[in-house]
Amino acid sequence: MKGLLKYLSPFAPDQSGAAGVLYDLGGITVICDAGGCTGNICGFDEPRWFVRKSAIFSAGLRDMDAILGRDDRLIEKLKDTAKKIDAAFAAIIGTPVPAVIATDFRALKRMGEKRCGLPVITIECTGTNLYDAGEEETYMELFRTFVDPETPTEEYAAGVIGATPLNISSVIADQKIREVLKEKGYEHVYCYGMGDGLDALKKAASVKKLFVIASSGLKAAKYMEKTYGIPYEVTYPILPASVKETFHRLHGKKVLVIHQQVLANEIRNEIQKQQEADVTVASWFMLKKEWKQPQDVLLKTENGFAEYVEQQGFDVIYGDRYLARALRNYQGEWIHVPHFAVSGEYEHDNGEIGL
Amino acid sequence: MKQEVYYITAAELAARGRKDIPDELQSSRHLIYSSPATLSFNSPGAQGFGVKRAGLAVPGSVMLLVAPGCCGRNTTMLSKLGGYSDRFFYLLMDDTDIVTGRHLNKISAAVKEVVDSLAEKPTAVMICITCVDALLGTDMDRVCKKAADHAGVPVLPCYMYALTREGRVPPMTQVRKSVYSLLQPRKKKSTTVNLLGEFAPFLDDSEIYDILRQIGVRKINEISRCRDFDEYLSMAEANFNLILNPECRLAAEDIKRRLGIPGIELTRLYQIDKIHRQYELLGGALGVAIDDQIYFDQAKKAVDDFTGKYPNTTFAIGECLNAGSFELALALLRYGHRVSEIYGTVSAENFIYIEKIAQISPQTKIYTNLSPTMIHYDCSDGVADITIGKDAEYYHPYSVNVPWNQERQPFGYSGLRHLFEELSEAMERRGNH
Repeated sequence: MKGLLKYLSPFAPDQSGAAGVLYDLGGITVICDAGGCTGNICGFDEPRWFVRKSAIFSAGLRDMDAILGRDDRLIEKLKDTAKKIDAAFAAIIGTPVPAVIATDFRALKRMGEKRCGLPVITIECTGTNLYDAGEEETYMELFRTFVDPETPTEEYAAGVIGATPLNISSVIADQKIREVLKEKGYEHVYCYGMGDGLDALKKAASVKKLFVIASSGLKAAKYMEKTYGIPYEVTYPILPASVKETFHRLHGKKVLVIHQQVLANEIRNEIQKQQEADVTVASWFMLKKEWKQPQDVLLKTENGFAEYVEQQGFDVIYGDRYLARALRNYQGEWIHVPHFAVSGEYEHDNGEIGL
Repeated sequence: MKQEVYYITAAELAARGRKDIPDELQSSRHLIYSSPATLSFNSPGAQGFGVKRAGLAVPGSVMLLVAPGCCGRNTTMLSKLGGYSDRFFYLLMDDTDIVTGRHLNKISAAVKEVVDSLAEKPTAVMICITCVDALLGTDMDRVCKKAADHAGVPVLPCYMYALTREGRVPPMTQVRKSVYSLLQPRKKKSTTVNLLGEFAPFLDDSEIYDILRQIGVRKINEISRCRDFDEYLSMAEANFNLILNPECRLAAEDIKRRLGIPGIELTRLYQIDKIHRQYELLGGALGVAIDDQIYFDQAKKAVDDFTGKYPNTTFAIGECLNAGSFELALALLRYGHRVSEIYGTVSAENFIYIEKIAQISPQTKIYTNLSPTMIHYDCSDGVADITIGKDAEYYHPYSVNVPWNQERQPFGYSGLRHLFEELSEAMERRGNH
């Protein structure tokens, strides 16, 4: 049955993706919910919550707020908070509650800006979509709203779009990204939303090049290219050594790679540089047509996933081992590539990988 | 901008009175901060016994969460770490479902598919629904009846309605009613009693068991100790219920109405004289004399031992713990200690304790975990030798901490004794280091 999960748990939703992009930008983030969604984001989908603070709050909606559409109360709460917390902007993120009652987010934005004196962006998440959809919309809102076209070009600067724990399954890998790109000659590397704040994002039109490390960043990169002429490159520069070490034994094998598309494509490219292997990419998340090969598969249902793998007879699967729960009959090799948005497993600040 | 944390002293709060609680202490009046300190309790589906886990208290049951994917996300952790991985199932809603309610037409088939996929037929399927169905006004009784007829197993609703958390019937109250709703009338046994209220057993050495046996009770039921569904059903034979958590009042009323089992409510307390008084009142209600001297003495010794060794200890008390924050604070003050800070939810019901705290310790600072200003809390600012509660530990990471949020439930003299024994052990450990 479509939508029925018997072996897997739901993946990270759109509101978690949106909150993840905003985490390090120094704004006030309001999750427009009753408390449960914020609990899920902060308690589960945002591992940085336990490492450093961010001003993420729940709107604390109650039944009568939703039934009567009391948006003015939400704005009053935001105004009160904005008086007590230094913030450069505010972001209001949707959840199932505003989706059901058809909250007018454009009105919220206008009311918020007028009453609070802060720039306000709104991200219309519904909780029914996946994290990458929330990330994509948030990147777009941020770049559209805040990029300053007047900043002078930084010849040796690079920007990175898509660096979030949900994509890179780590709270420290942004440092590795910076190191890798600095080795390529960039003096300044800005990971928007992970380690770099709003000031860096405002200067995004000044960088020499943008690097897109997850599908959720493509739309914003295209916008930056079209609007400001900033070129972009799609790459995943930090494939774990433990994964790379396995490529040498794939000659002649039929391989499936399941992950976010950019990371999965990077694995395919690296395998095919070294071996003649039949490699297919599959994802539960966005598969952008620009980077998709004909055999690649968008996974939609648990049953469909199990049937597809059984029919194809893969020798090796790369992906988060949590997904193996749905494959009761798979006999091949499984090489674990954690995906935080799937299993909640990530690289902690001490370098350990786990929940 | 001055980055200040909001707090009020006990004296100031008591002077304002229960009808003038500041907006900053009322979670409905401000945005809510879900700091790491609060995650154990500030979400109906979060850690500990939230609605999802509580709903599985019926032995042999499974749960189908019918909701947008976001509502089930944290269950990944619960499934992995809590051993529930084969008991949770999900029917995910899409954008059309949340507007039209068409997902309701799929529930019966989904329940049947889940039941058919299991090697052993579950005793019941709990359908957990969330804010979406609260707003759609879904008639879950009808949906569950239809699904039960279709799948051939009892199907019960669990309402994880965060929107109603501060309403008349909050989710944790409603779920307690749900888990007892499968009980059917049975012939009563005068020597059987149910302990209602928690989803994990009370501590084995709690005097409540001895005292009940002392007055002739032979069988004491708790849902968390039921080994199978038959044992669960035998709870309907009880002569009376002891209600040990106020969130179980609604369930007890429902049991009284349907099964004719009356209930007596007892409160978890840490003031030793009040514990004694409560047992006196229980004896009076039952028409028996209760001899609690031995348990009183044991608890008093634990309190005296700690207080003798660590006099005038300064505590900070949270609310993620097996105690009422303000009652515990008052108890510690009455035992001769100091309470510098309390992180709690102030309500009119707590004022009886707040007023007494104000008399003994007017400068005690009262915070709410949920205030946005808590983001500014400087962990090096406050003074506390010991923190009690997981949340309190967050604010004072370098103080001795006793989390006191164990799943096995403390109660009465035994709870008091264990708390002070743990406090002593924690101080000794610090001394050794």
